[in-house]
Amino acid sequence: MTDLSNHTRSSRHLGARVSDFLRNYYIYFVLVAVVAVLSVANLDQFALFERGNFLNKRNIINILRVSAPLLMLAGAFTLLMVSGYIDLSVGSTMSLSAVIYALLAINGVPFLACFVLTVIAGMGLGAVNGFLVVRLKITPVIATLITLSLFKGIALLLVQDGVSAIKSIGELRMPGWFNDYGRDAVLLGLPMAFWVAVGVTLALIFAQNRTLLGKYAAATGGNPVAARLSGINTNRVVFGLYMLVGAAAALAGIARSSFMSLGDPLSGDGMELSAILVVLIGGTAFSGGEGRVLRSFVGALIIMALTVGMLTLVPAYYQTLVIGAALLAAAASNHLISRKEGMA
Amino acid sequence: MTMTKIATRADGQGQPRARRPLSDEALITSMVACAAVVLFVLAALLVPNFYQPLNVLNLVTNNWPVISLGIGVTFLLVSGNFDLSVGGIVALSGVLAVWFAQSAEGGNALSTGWGMPTWLAMGCALVGALAIGALNALFVVRLRIPSIIVTLGTMMLARGIAQVITQGSQRNTNLPADFGFLGNLSVIGNSVKFPVVVMAVLLLVAIFIERRTVFGRLTFWTGANPVAARLSGIDRARHVTLLYLLSAGVAGIVGILLASEFKSGFSNRGLLMEFDALVIALLGGVAIAGGFGSVIGMFFGAIILAIVTSAATGLVLSPDWQFILKALAVFLAIVAQSWALARRNK
Repeated sequence: MTDLSNHTRSSRHLGARVSDFLRNYYIYFVLVAVVAVLSVANLDQFALFERGNFLNKRNIINILRVSAPLLMLAGAFTLLMVSGYIDLSVGSTMSLSAVIYALLAINGVPFLACFVLTVIAGMGLGAVNGFLVVRLKITPVIATLITLSLFKGIALLLVQDGVSAIKSIGELRMPGWFNDYGRDAVLLGLPMAFWVAVGVTLALIFAQNRTLLGKYAAATGGNPVAARLSGINTNRVVFGLYMLVGAAAALAGIARSSFMSLGDPLSGDGMELSAILVVLIGGTAFSGGEGRVLRSFVGALIIMALTVGMLTLVPAYYQTLVIGAALLAAAASNHLISRKEGMA
Repeated sequence: MTMTKIATRADGQGQPRARRPLSDEALITSMVACAAVVLFVLAALLVPNFYQPLNVLNLVTNNWPVISLGIGVTFLLVSGNFDLSVGGIVALSGVLAVWFAQSAEGGNALSTGWGMPTWLAMGCALVGALAIGALNALFVVRLRIPSIIVTLGTMMLARGIAQVITQGSQRNTNLPADFGFLGNLSVIGNSVKFPVVVMAVLLLVAIFIERRTVFGRLTFWTGANPVAARLSGIDRARHVTLLYLLSAGVAGIVGILLASEFKSGFSNRGLLMEFDALVIALLGGVAIAGGFGSVIGMFFGAIILAIVTSAATGLVLSPDWQFILKALAVFLAIVAQSWALARRNK
């Protein structure tokens, strides 16, 4: 087995090896480049590693804390894209989960129960997507646009009129533990939410590399007909992946809600764009069949470093422009790298 | 006639069928029209103050921006492509028009522009809108990147440029006196203004192109079966490029007219309009897979959406309900359409 792969590798064209290398490792170079630029950009005002500099310990901890929701979403979203499907409703699922979590907490449900119930609710929302796509055969983009609108509407209706987010209801107040999960340092100065995101990502890397789920997802995305003919129940794989993404979105909603101490029905707005951006930066093919959980995780770090770090350089109103340009650039570079591969 | 038959099949793999009095498209369009009428009667009976002549007229006139945007979106969907950038283009072209028209010496950054005469400013803003359309075409046609991802990117790019130019808010000072003329010109009474006439003209031209020209038929062909279209010598690249330019051009006109109406360039204008344009196209029976749909259907889809949202407001439902109502309407439209076509073509 090793011999065979060595043989094929050595006989391959140099260009193919270069593009392989680029595809596997370019993302780390991008991360390093982004961090390098951001840390030297303000050197005339702040010393390296000192307060105010990008590489200051507090700043890094802060970025990693706010990254938790996107980091949780990246892995599951990658697996779904690898199987050739897309979920535009992740932002709304996240908002609705945040509202459900806050509602449960404010009504006196203990932390662990809130957590588990919200994740189950997220899986239920994912199952709705799975049902529309797999059973009713509605195009994924449209099916999840429908649920984007639906979940967002439900989240807005759960929050009573005249209030923008759940903070207190009458005499009820948020319990004291509410923002421990998203803010309280448990290890290396980072909160539980961040470590859960790391745990979820490790589990999904394992699932992608060592279990049938990863193989089935790649097979479904690479060639759905062949996958079905070789006995894979692609419907069940896709349905399961939608539930997985729903659960990940719920975890993201819990993290965001706990971090902000709010049940905000708009807190997930635009998350679907960030998720797509992260997955594209990670080199996942939009036609399915190709993509790595770990690379998307690094992609999420890049995006969070960029969006937070940029605030020290340019006014906030540059954000939309930069994200839009990054999305197009990531899509174009993805295309160029995969075309090289195809030609070699 | 066979041409029409092939083009009207949503799945693109049917066998030759006997001649029918009504094409699949005509059936779906009339279903949509019937649904609009039924909803209208229901709303008139159940919602207090719904049936008033002015209110009925407003169902169309208030929605001129989204209906106009729906034209380009419908053509692109029929050809098998998405366009989610139209809302961003509305913001960009409006902001550009205002920026170009503002006089060159203003008190601060937001009141200083280029000092162009109004007509030139609007013309240049339209060029800016077309540039976004060209970018869409470049990415979709040349780089073959899925249109949903490309137009999500250009949606943010266009709105992002608008936000940078307006520094995240709006520009509304130091404008020439005639800047607000086009957007506020009353044509018939107070309710039918110039932009509504523009919408009507665009609709008529679009229906003519769709029904009576080769260009319109080619749009259906490329969407219904891209491979067959390519093999029969249709220049798909050129065709889709023209469609993206058309859609961006219409969105540019809408943005400029809105800027003129409000005498301001606001970077959040047109937010979620791309979504509404997609919703009315889907409600009007345009198939997401391409090759199926009509501009008339899209128009009735817009009427349905207008009736539903205005009835919901009339019933004093909280505005938050609109998201759920839109979701349910699109869902029902898609399920009803596939059910009707499956039954018919069994």
